[in-house]
Amino acid sequence: MIRSRAGLSAGALLMAASLALTACGGGGSDSEEGADAKTLTLWHYEGPNSAMGIAWNKAIEDFKASHPGVEVKFEEKGFEQIQQNAQMILNSDSAPDIMEYNKGNATSGLLSKQGLLTDLTEEAGKRGWDKALNTGLATTTKYDDDGIMGSGKTYGVPNYAEYVEVYYNKDLFKKYNLQVPTTLDEFTKVMDTFVQNKVTPLAVGGAEYPAQQILYSLALSKADRAWVDDYQLYKNKVDFKGPQLKYGADTFKQWVDKGYIAKNSAGIKAEDMGVSFTQGKFPIMISGSWWYGRFVNEIKNFEWGTFLFPGNKLHPGSSGNLWVVPEKSKAKALAYDFIDITMKPEIQALLGNNGGVPVAADAASITDAKNKELIENFNKISSEDGLAFYPDWPAPGYYDVLVAGVQGLINGSKTPDQVLTEIAKPYDENLADLGK
Amino acid sequence: MTLTANRTPTAKTEPPKAEKRANPVRFVILAALLALLLIVIAPLLIITINAVKSPADYAGGGPLSLPSSLYWDGIVDFWNRVDFGMKLWNSFITSFTVAVLGVLLSILNAYALGIGKVKGRVWFLVFFLVANLLPQEVLVYPLYFLSKEAGLYDSLISIVIIFTVIQAAFGTYLLTSVYQEFPTELLDAADVDGAGKLRTLWSVVVPVSRPTLGVLFTFFFIWTWNEFFLPLVFLVSNDNQTVPVALGVLQGDRLMDATMTSASGLIGILPAMIFFLVFQRTLTRGITAGAIK
Repeated sequence: MIRSRAGLSAGALLMAASLALTACGGGGSDSEEGADAKTLTLWHYEGPNSAMGIAWNKAIEDFKASHPGVEVKFEEKGFEQIQQNAQMILNSDSAPDIMEYNKGNATSGLLSKQGLLTDLTEEAGKRGWDKALNTGLATTTKYDDDGIMGSGKTYGVPNYAEYVEVYYNKDLFKKYNLQVPTTLDEFTKVMDTFVQNKVTPLAVGGAEYPAQQILYSLALSKADRAWVDDYQLYKNKVDFKGPQLKYGADTFKQWVDKGYIAKNSAGIKAEDMGVSFTQGKFPIMISGSWWYGRFVNEIKNFEWGTFLFPGNKLHPGSSGNLWVVPEKSKAKALAYDFIDITMKPEIQALLGNNGGVPVAADAASITDAKNKELIENFNKISSEDGLAFYPDWPAPGYYDVLVAGVQGLINGSKTPDQVLTEIAKPYDENLADLGK
Repeated sequence: MTLTANRTPTAKTEPPKAEKRANPVRFVILAALLALLLIVIAPLLIITINAVKSPADYAGGGPLSLPSSLYWDGIVDFWNRVDFGMKLWNSFITSFTVAVLGVLLSILNAYALGIGKVKGRVWFLVFFLVANLLPQEVLVYPLYFLSKEAGLYDSLISIVIIFTVIQAAFGTYLLTSVYQEFPTELLDAADVDGAGKLRTLWSVVVPVSRPTLGVLFTFFFIWTWNEFFLPLVFLVSNDNQTVPVALGVLQGDRLMDATMTSASGLIGILPAMIFFLVFQRTLTRGITAGAIK
């Protein structure tokens, strides 16, 4: 009998819940800056050993030192949890005071449009964060009223950047007497040599992001900044059969036909691609700087290095994830102080010395030789305003469309022309939805 | 049971000719079963191998190579990183409460629908069946708003309530069909002895159907233990998270830590497997056991 009452009370709770639905409401005032708050709840989803994890741990310590009496409640979150639920969490009282969040229209853009993020424009100007970021990096921090990046108010601050480059196995290059290529032609010749020696040159993960980034890199070799703005920021209509994407798709197909890319790579995941490169099975891998720190630690059996995609001025890449301050944050002033600490030279240098790409580091303060290479490459892109973002950004759900399209090219089930038609459709539909 | 037990020895004493003919077939079946077994345990094996492998070992040899030395740091680090003891407790307390409450609710519903023969019970059953088929994604937003208004968002109580209802929907559906076959002689006997409705339920129906209830309890526990999606949505702060949600912490944006993910996977499924082994006797007694005696 006692137990049956427990069931009843559960039912009663549900009833109460539905009754309470109409009862509550209201909101808080934005004027309260929360400088006198006693706790700062902070969320991020970087592993403790990653460059960001190390740098941010130090930042938390520095924050505690400069704010005695404030308790920092740090919670490490899963990427998936934040990705799926940010909207619901930020709309509730469980929202953190500051958190890491993904850049882009579908994520930070969407939340800013819904009024869930605090406008940081004023703080960024006052504290000089805006000056630390170049135009390419700043693009992903600003969102307009429709939540489209590139213009409008600042809603986030990135500490690090990322870009796609070419990783190569120095031992295998030496074995076949090859030099680091500086043009696309030379790059093709290098890969030809490998094919002649029965080595598949490129490690490619066709089931995830890597393959589409190769296609995009190839398209970028024929593109300029205006085209990137058209494609990513909808400045003008993009012709998918135009010289850029057509060249990208056609050349990608050629690379498959010539054997630069293995036919079975259509089903390979990014993780397996990375592992196959660390095992020395492939001499070249075209992928992002996020692998760098891991390769430094894990590649023991051969010498490796990196170079930028030969001949390109534009490279896939962007700012890293953003620090955002939820509108419901109870300690906004403390959150600004924390962001300010993460932008300090010593934290930025720490990031750079652990395999990350800091946005505001002094190159001289990077002592690690291997990491210098990574940061010099980034500075080169930066100075040429060469960050071209990622191909899957322009439309929601576009990632899967591109994966499917490129897989079709790899296993030969579709012609480049068919693929371009296929990937143009969702892009145009999204434009129509936006009323452009 | 006794019947089959008697038959087996007779089959064995059949003339050797028949046995010889059966031999290759048996061998093929045995081989097929072994292959099947290997397929079933292969994922577990791979997880175990990688859980005790160091990251450098993994990077050098890939996921299928054997570890060169046992490396326990992955498991230990993960345990400390997410405070796994607390997640275990959270998972246990929610799963256990849900299993108890879910079984109770199912009994009461099924008693009314299966034995009480309430008017329109077919429609009730159809309703419960549809409720079962409803994907959880559909429920997320309504449940989110309800729990937020009731102040239960980010609290284990919300998860207990939601899963009690979800599991009880299935339990009601199953138990009703069991109770419809309940021997009327027993009910009549209880009636003659002057037992009221409640007395009949607790003293006659529940004891007779105990094996079925045991099965329901075990399933409810394991299902709730393995739930990922709704706990992910509802348990926001790390102090409230359950085991499957805690495992998600390792999934990064672009990179994953394969060895630590394996380590976490291994200690994540271990409790559910132990629970299953402990209660597997209740399971083998069968879902409809005790309906007719």
